[in-house]
Amino acid sequence: MTINVNSLPQVELFGQGNVGCKGCGAAIAGRQAMKVLGERTIITIPASCMATLGGSNTRSAWRVPFYHTLFECAPAVSSGIRAALEIQGIKDVNVVSWGGDAGSADIGFQSLTGAAERQENIIHVLYDNEMYMNTGGQTGSQTPIYAITSNGSLGKKVRKKNMLAIMEAHGIDYVASANIAYPEDLMAKFQKAAAKKGFSYIHILAPCHRGWGIKPEETIEVARKATECGLWELFEVDEGKRTRTYEPKLIPVADYFKAQGRFKNLTDEQIAEFQKFVDDYYGKGE
Amino acid sequence: MNKVLITGSEAAALGAKLAKIEVLSYYPITPAFPAMERLSKYIDDGELNCKFIRAESDHSALAAVLGGSLAGARSYTVTNSQGLLLMTEVVYHVAGLRQPIVMGVANRALSAPHSRFPEHGDVVSQSASGWIQLFCENNQDILDNTIQAFRIAEELRVPVMVNYEGYLQSHTLEEVFVPEQSKVDAFLPLKRQPALDINNPRGVNTVTSPDFYPYYKFNQNEAMLESLNLIPKVAAEYNQEFGANSCGLIECYQMEDAEHAIVAMGSIVGTARILVDNLRKEGRKIGLIKVKVWRPFPVKAILEALQNVSFVTVLDKNIVFGVGGALATDLKAAAYGRGEMVINGAILGLGGGKCGVEEINAAVMETESAGSDKNKSVWIGL
Repeated sequence: MTINVNSLPQVELFGQGNVGCKGCGAAIAGRQAMKVLGERTIITIPASCMATLGGSNTRSAWRVPFYHTLFECAPAVSSGIRAALEIQGIKDVNVVSWGGDAGSADIGFQSLTGAAERQENIIHVLYDNEMYMNTGGQTGSQTPIYAITSNGSLGKKVRKKNMLAIMEAHGIDYVASANIAYPEDLMAKFQKAAAKKGFSYIHILAPCHRGWGIKPEETIEVARKATECGLWELFEVDEGKRTRTYEPKLIPVADYFKAQGRFKNLTDEQIAEFQKFVDDYYGKGE
Repeated sequence: MNKVLITGSEAAALGAKLAKIEVLSYYPITPAFPAMERLSKYIDDGELNCKFIRAESDHSALAAVLGGSLAGARSYTVTNSQGLLLMTEVVYHVAGLRQPIVMGVANRALSAPHSRFPEHGDVVSQSASGWIQLFCENNQDILDNTIQAFRIAEELRVPVMVNYEGYLQSHTLEEVFVPEQSKVDAFLPLKRQPALDINNPRGVNTVTSPDFYPYYKFNQNEAMLESLNLIPKVAAEYNQEFGANSCGLIECYQMEDAEHAIVAMGSIVGTARILVDNLRKEGRKIGLIKVKVWRPFPVKAILEALQNVSFVTVLDKNIVFGVGGALATDLKAAAYGRGEMVINGAILGLGGGKCGVEEINAAVMETESAGSDKNKSVWIGL
């Protein structure tokens, strides 16, 4: 499935009037996804920047039903919404839970694994800025090793939890990584996920310039480097079939790290460690 | 009307089935699980057209039911004790979102230490949550209150808990009159009010500033207070339609000339009736007030019932540490400024402790001998 950017709908179902920072990776991800999900979508978002920037008081930046859920339970709520639609015979609606890394991989993991195991007919999105940005940028399970955070000035000691592998292990219909710097790839994946009858999981790398120590205008550029250096592979597992959806140029990982304040203390040995990981991974071929 | 011999769990499940719930979710816990299993059986057997979400936790169970309600379905869950505590965040959230969810609670003592026996401590922890709380004296109450709960919840958009005690009620057989389905359908017309409507997109639970927040809370409180008017009307209509005998906010037993009143809620009420009969035979002017509605607290109805009473014994199957029993505390606050009436609380039945006629008699005697020391709770059965 390919996406022709010129034929995308003009209407912005998300984004207009949102109160995200300029250069917000999360808001970019939301805009891209809604271009293909369309207006027959109900979206639930647990506590996160994305939940708060999407509306306040009587205003909403969403032109679809949007519900800001409690932190732990967006996939559970979405399961209930799907059940209610089915009992009323309401068809052709995408039910999407859209969590940050905390609301998906950490505090929200229990309801995510529960809904995935039940093969609920919903799409869960993890928009990943690799730290707890809504509370100021603390370390979480999706923070990469060595990254400096607001409560980890010495850098994280352990590796990032591999959520894509965990979700793939659920045997769900569709698992994909995505990156806001590759909108056609991202949108094609949402199109596939929307057509599935069971559970889909899409994990989007969506940098936060504040947390990452980059300039607002560098959000896309740094996101692109993550994929081009081989650290954020773009792939999908479609009903068990794994495919790399983009072949990276494999630029040096140092180019990715050196752009970011959160990795300012990275040593040459640590960079070499990452480079070896990438070389080994891509050296194996597929 | 059909008469059946069923447990409290079956009465709760039957009430939800008669209400034709559309979305069900739960996470198994003792002693609520038989009600859950019965509901799942109704669905499996095709007797109930309802979507079941097999949640992986109590928190997710109420969250899933909330999703169902937000999207316009009549939604129900059952839990108790630790499950209710894990749900607590969602419990408050549901009330704030004004979702008409009904929840059965098979009341059980809280850990630690571990106990699986009946007590009201679990729902007392939810007293400020914004849910209407109904208490049941017997299995008939469980069925009647469950059906009425949907009507109350949906008219006011306030969630309702129907409390019945673990084992004493959940696992005990009693005769129950079952209303006809067609009449329940007429009593509970389904008017969908989805907050998440694909044809009418709205933002739900957006970030709310201090300019707005207090209004939401004021309206929430007004709706709770309005239930004090609505609940007796719903009960009266229910009684008329089904030939039932469901009380409104409270029920007075032998209160006409009573000087001493026992105030209680839940299963202990039935036993207290026996004690009142016994003491009446001895010439004591004693009566009983059954509290069906604990949240909101029916101040006016209770104070009216206590108009000519000089001494009150409150029976609490719960303890708010450092304060006393929850019902006694509420009553004392309600009776502030009411002159000479003495209100003394008795704590009994914690963690499944015995609550027979003997224990209730001891509660009456010991609260009397505690005199007018209003801060004193007597503990029965230690």
